[in-house]
Amino acid sequence: MNGGLPFETGRSSEGELLVSFKRPLSYENAAQTWQGLSALVVQEDNVSIVFDLSGVSKVDSAGAALLRSIQRLCDRKGVRFRIQSVEPPIRHFLEYLERETPKQGQPELPGSFVSRFGAFLIEQSAELVDFARFCGSFLAVAGGSLRRLRRFRWNESLYYLQLAGADAMTILFLMMFLLGLVMTFQAAIQLRQFGANIYVADLVSLALSRELAPVFTAMLLAGRSGSAFAAEIGTMKVGEELDALAVMGFNLTELITVPKVIALMMAAPLLTIWANFAGIVGGIVVSAVSLDLTPYSFMHEVYSAVTLGDIMGGLLKTEVFAILIALVGCFRGFQTGLGADSVGRQTTSAVVSGLFLIIFADAILTVLYYLLGW
Amino acid sequence: MFSSNNSRDRHALCVENVSLGYGERAILKNLSFCVEHGQIVTILGGSGSGKSTLLKGLIGLLKPTEGRVELYGKDISGSGSEQSLEWARKRIGVLFQSAALIGSLTVAENIALPIQEFSNAPAEILPEIVRLKLEMVRLGGYEGYYPAELSGGMKKRAGLARATALDPHILFCDEPTGGLDPVISAEMDNLLLELNRVLGITMVVITHDLSSIRAISDWSIVVDGNAQGIIATGSTDELENSPDRRVYDFFHRKAH
Repeated sequence: MNGGLPFETGRSSEGELLVSFKRPLSYENAAQTWQGLSALVVQEDNVSIVFDLSGVSKVDSAGAALLRSIQRLCDRKGVRFRIQSVEPPIRHFLEYLERETPKQGQPELPGSFVSRFGAFLIEQSAELVDFARFCGSFLAVAGGSLRRLRRFRWNESLYYLQLAGADAMTILFLMMFLLGLVMTFQAAIQLRQFGANIYVADLVSLALSRELAPVFTAMLLAGRSGSAFAAEIGTMKVGEELDALAVMGFNLTELITVPKVIALMMAAPLLTIWANFAGIVGGIVVSAVSLDLTPYSFMHEVYSAVTLGDIMGGLLKTEVFAILIALVGCFRGFQTGLGADSVGRQTTSAVVSGLFLIIFADAILTVLYYLLGW
Repeated sequence: MFSSNNSRDRHALCVENVSLGYGERAILKNLSFCVEHGQIVTILGGSGSGKSTLLKGLIGLLKPTEGRVELYGKDISGSGSEQSLEWARKRIGVLFQSAALIGSLTVAENIALPIQEFSNAPAEILPEIVRLKLEMVRLGGYEGYYPAELSGGMKKRAGLARATALDPHILFCDEPTGGLDPVISAEMDNLLLELNRVLGITMVVITHDLSSIRAISDWSIVVDGNAQGIIATGSTDELENSPDRRVYDFFHRKAH
């Protein structure tokens, strides 16, 4: 007798272990029953077990699964297992569950680390090829759009210019102002030791115009606009809007991608100039407060240090970043699968890919500028 | 009506003078009917007749503006009925029109979710329960698939497996054959009939699929948007020969 367990044990006339159930085999007592039965099968040196279901008034899905699991456990342990005295309704239910059902497919089993890594590399390179193809189709369509400027959807581009450009000005100003502030502080600590306070202006303005303003603007665009493009296009795909447009004969690249890329190409240089301005304002504030540099002398130093070439070099960078962010955002949107979760995944992917491409392109452009002597 | 209100213990579901609506807008008014244990009742009506609103009322997603909904004698519609509703939710299963599978989970994880959350089933037998449920709806082997990888009919069957995961006493189905071809629709009807006969599950099925109505329903309720209520109840034969023009037209596919 097992106190508290939903079954009793004994011996049959043939010497088999007889398990008689006292309560329903159901969800309510599945945990307790499983614990008791699995211990019985594993621990006791039984050659044969008989389950007597004469006292069972009900078997539900959990009970049926429990019987199957116990049978598997017995098979593994080499224990013979059978069920007896099953009431007709329960027998009917168990037979219904045991019937052959056609297997319609098998899920793929995960392979070894090497095969999974190989599959990952193949997937990544296929994605790169897809992205290159997407960029190619964009260039082909954009060329056509520029030849038919009158038909170009300017309203759409201006709408995205507002979203990606004007609406981002406040946060960009705050970000770059604080960045200019921090940079000036850090530089001041070092330069003050040599009495070279005035060169803080050179350092801040050059770093901003050549590097930091384009990169930070691009990062903000990737986070705000690249993700928004991916989410918008992804949602359209889930709602079959893209299919509807394609069936109507629209060229999706021309209709959806080109206006967004043009909008970011317009927004990015304007935002970069704004970012330069904000950073320099931050620098002026710190210089005036803690370095005894007047705004006039700070700006005088900026004019002498920064050339038009520095600013144009920064703007060229930001233009490249903008194209990459818009393209990768749209590309990820078009890659969206069929579910709502896919939109989320592609949106995240748009930001991550965008940030990676910004840094990658920045490295290439910086080396290129160095080689060209810009 | 098929049942009277004075024999409540025979009834799985009782609706008494229920009115449903959104805000000020009334959709259905003064509905009353009862469903006996083990019956399959279909709720019929044209598009926009309020069938889905009625379903929301029956499963506690929409509080009636008037009247009461009782599941196994417990009022799940009144104020302070949260405990009864929680009790009832463990005993009902719902198959939604779109199947409503969670896209980020595999089919097996979708089915395991309510079992893990609302039962004491040990982790060792959980995969076996999931396998049983999937085999029951003829989806054996699809455990690792994501909903997006399944066809419409397969999604509905996976949804049915999830709805019946905890062996509910009563199953509500919103257009189980909607958007499916006639062969897959007939398979779905057979599945519902099997679940009803083998597991004894009471069913309330919302549909406007005539062949489905003929195949599965013990009796039907016809709701009408203009009348804002029930315009007829009865067996399929009775309704097909109904003297009410609206009911007759519905069954004989005639435009008004």
